Amino acid sequence: MRKALAFLLVAGLLTACTDEPDPGQPVGPAEPGTLRVLAGSELADMRPVLEEAAKATGVTVKFSFTGTLEGAEALASGSADGAYDAVWFSSNRYPAAIPEAAKRLGNQVKIMSSPVVLGLSSSAAQRLGFAGRPVGWAEIAEKAGQKAFSYGMTDPSASNSGFSALVGVASALAGAGNAVDANQVAAVTPKLTEFFSAQALSSGSSGWLSEAFEKRAQDPAGKIDGLINYESVLLSMNAGGKLPEPLSIVYPSDGVVTADYPLTLLTGANDDARGAHQRLTDHLRTHDVQRRIAETTHRRPVVPGVELGARFTQKDLLELPFPATRDAVDALLSAYFNKIRRPSRTLYVVDTSGSMAGDRIEALRTALVGLTGADASLTGRFRGFRNREEVTIMPFDTTPREPRTFVVPEQDPRAVLAEIKSFAEGLNANGGTAIYDSLDRAYTVLAPVLAKDPDRFHSIVLMTDGENANGRDFAQFQTGFTGVPAQVRQVPVFTVLFGEGSGDELSKVADMTGGKVFDARNTKLTDVFKEIRGYQ
Amino acid sequence: MKRRLSIGLAVVLLLAVVAVVVWGREDEPDSEITVVRGVIGSEKQAFFTDPRVVEAFAKHKIKVEVDTAGSRQIATTVDLGKYEFAFPSSSPAAQKIQRDRKVTTVHTPFQSPMAVATFEPIVKLLEANGAVRKGAGDYQVLDIAEYLELADRRWDQLPGNTAYPARKNVLITTTDPRESNSAAMYLSIVSFVANGNAVVSSAEQEAKVLPRIAKLFLDQGYTQNSTEGPFEDYLSAGMGKSPMVLVYESQYVDRLIRADGSIRPDMRMLYTAPTVYSKHTLVPLSPNGDRVGRLLATDPELGRLAATFGFRTTSPKLFAEVAGDKAPADLVDAVEPPSFETLERLLDEVKKQY
Repeated sequence: MRKALAFLLVAGLLTACTDEPDPGQPVGPAEPGTLRVLAGSELADMRPVLEEAAKATGVTVKFSFTGTLEGAEALASGSADGAYDAVWFSSNRYPAAIPEAAKRLGNQVKIMSSPVVLGLSSSAAQRLGFAGRPVGWAEIAEKAGQKAFSYGMTDPSASNSGFSALVGVASALAGAGNAVDANQVAAVTPKLTEFFSAQALSSGSSGWLSEAFEKRAQDPAGKIDGLINYESVLLSMNAGGKLPEPLSIVYPSDGVVTADYPLTLLTGANDDARGAHQRLTDHLRTHDVQRRIAETTHRRPVVPGVELGARFTQKDLLELPFPATRDAVDALLSAYFNKIRRPSRTLYVVDTSGSMAGDRIEALRTALVGLTGADASLTGRFRGFRNREEVTIMPFDTTPREPRTFVVPEQDPRAVLAEIKSFAEGLNANGGTAIYDSLDRAYTVLAPVLAKDPDRFHSIVLMTDGENANGRDFAQFQTGFTGVPAQVRQVPVFTVLFGEGSGDELSKVADMTGGKVFDARNTKLTDVFKEIRGYQ
Repeated sequence: MKRRLSIGLAVVLLLAVVAVVVWGREDEPDSEITVVRGVIGSEKQAFFTDPRVVEAFAKHKIKVEVDTAGSRQIATTVDLGKYEFAFPSSSPAAQKIQRDRKVTTVHTPFQSPMAVATFEPIVKLLEANGAVRKGAGDYQVLDIAEYLELADRRWDQLPGNTAYPARKNVLITTTDPRESNSAAMYLSIVSFVANGNAVVSSAEQEAKVLPRIAKLFLDQGYTQNSTEGPFEDYLSAGMGKSPMVLVYESQYVDRLIRADGSIRPDMRMLYTAPTVYSKHTLVPLSPNGDRVGRLLATDPELGRLAATFGFRTTSPKLFAEVAGDKAPADLVDAVEPPSFETLERLLDEVKKQY
């Protein structure tokens, strides 16, 4: 979906757009006056500013959006070489910690900034006694440990806001005064576990997180008290008018991690791109444009002498040190996924009908096997099945097949991961397609375990390559949905379009359940399954 | 405005070809103009591309074209065969090139001492804790020996601190020691003090000072790769982000001279005691390169222009006239950096600990 969005945006900026971009150059070949930028998806909101910049400077930006780790990986592997002229993420801290990625970062020009902070509905802030006084991360963690409030946050391996929050909270709770190193991670794990026990929602992107938060704010049963995100996102939500009550922003008094959006030329960029980068960054840093960025995106100006503006109520923020080594960052990410965060219960409802025979069933097997540790890439390492996770796979064809549940242990997960792998490798394609009977069966499987052990992130992945052909139809499913226990209705269904899968109904399913639809018709199923992990 | 934007960001070998336009002289035939190509530290790019500087060179029938690279790269990896002069930001790098290329005469037209950009409440706090005092000259200094005592503690552990009770270590924000010249200058200062007020010059001394100085970098965590980065954070984000930032005096004085309001009333610059000079040293690689060096060192107009960029010039008078009371005319308590080889070894050892 993120990629689909990227292509839409690219298409909007391109004067001539080819239908099938070269996979090595997703935004086309280098051309004078164009800056091809690999960027974080939240930069989509810069479009109006960049359109004005194009008129003023003659430099057009072509974006391709990706996540934090994916971006670092593209740099480190060299796949960004020649495909992009620049990268633009909320920060260069992660790629800078990976030598192979760091050496490709050239001229870095900061454009704007936004701290990662906690937004709470005003009533929750009042209830917690957080309104109108300084509050530190330790106190927030204590309240979280008491389950006095709930919040949503993005997945730290997929999105920079979650990544910054994890590092910020860890640094603040470690309280050592220096940047967290790998050895300190173990010591701070109990306090972090307390803090993350109140996390009720995970998201692969900052945009989806705010949408899901807004949607759930309307539903008393699904309401979440707050979210951790960029100040700019929280201010935009308050300005957007979709919330029943505004968010109070808590700027933790012991410090924050701030994104500074360096528009960074790649060392391999040619002279045209170098000139374009210079012209564009000069323009974006003029005082007028800095003010315009603040108005449009709610991000702070970074150019000395540009006043902050009244919307930024907390002017001077304490900045926490950010670890400089990949070891420290990886130790923190690994502890977060395998020890600290609430474990997941994940149900995969996967189509193994006759139409899946051949390449498709092989793609499904590979995608599932990839999550069992077979994928050694930077992203693969943090997007697989995690320790403590309960994974159920339910294949279906004419009817739902017998579901098989695996519990990944907290220590040494290898044996169980091997079982999942051999199960996935044994999937075979034949028979019809009973999508809604199978989804209904998934609810039946989930209801008792969820009632017994609710303290997990629950989600269902529904993957199909065709139209519903057997059993109940969508309308019947819709009617029956009201009868599903309330707790189970809250479980998001992430639907995956594959082959000839029908977008319309699957979108509705995602919409009804607070999930999201992913398109694997033009993207590798493996990549889509990895992307969905950010929401699980 | 433009010149700040282009200052000093090229640190990973970044060769920016800067075509220098000779303003108002299009009518002259090119044959009369000699093009001299050099490789320079990126913080001087703004100077070389300034139209007034271009004009001043044009009067001498010279057009200077520059590529930028980090000082360490100029001394080690840049192919100097393409250039008529090399102009790194520090004397150790220049000495290395001088030796490698067997150059006898070099020019040091500008220099700038290292300083710390900070805030009045921090100055008061450090003064109360003995780290800021009146120095040998008529100005306040940050005593590096005292600072090293404080640097293992957090701000909120300093007695009587209500001004800045942050739960983070008392640390000067620097750039990345693996990439940036200013961090190497900082290393020169702290290694001198950690070595009992002597320039580090032996393997034993290197081993002795290393744990202390490495921690000053590692505890900071992520650092930016160009000196302009943390200085800009200082100017725009304020005390919460970086209460003390290592800068070249030229960066701070440049802002004061511009009087653009970016230096606010509560901002202060402290010289470190001791300090080191970052000596921008031009190593000529051809007679034309030598001419550029000589002009920079002797031409009063070029000297005056360099002073407006905050650089201290060969003739102290030029800097004094431009800077006025914004900076002391003479700095005392300056020490020499270690040799290029010692500095490289120390930086490599620090690098291994990341």
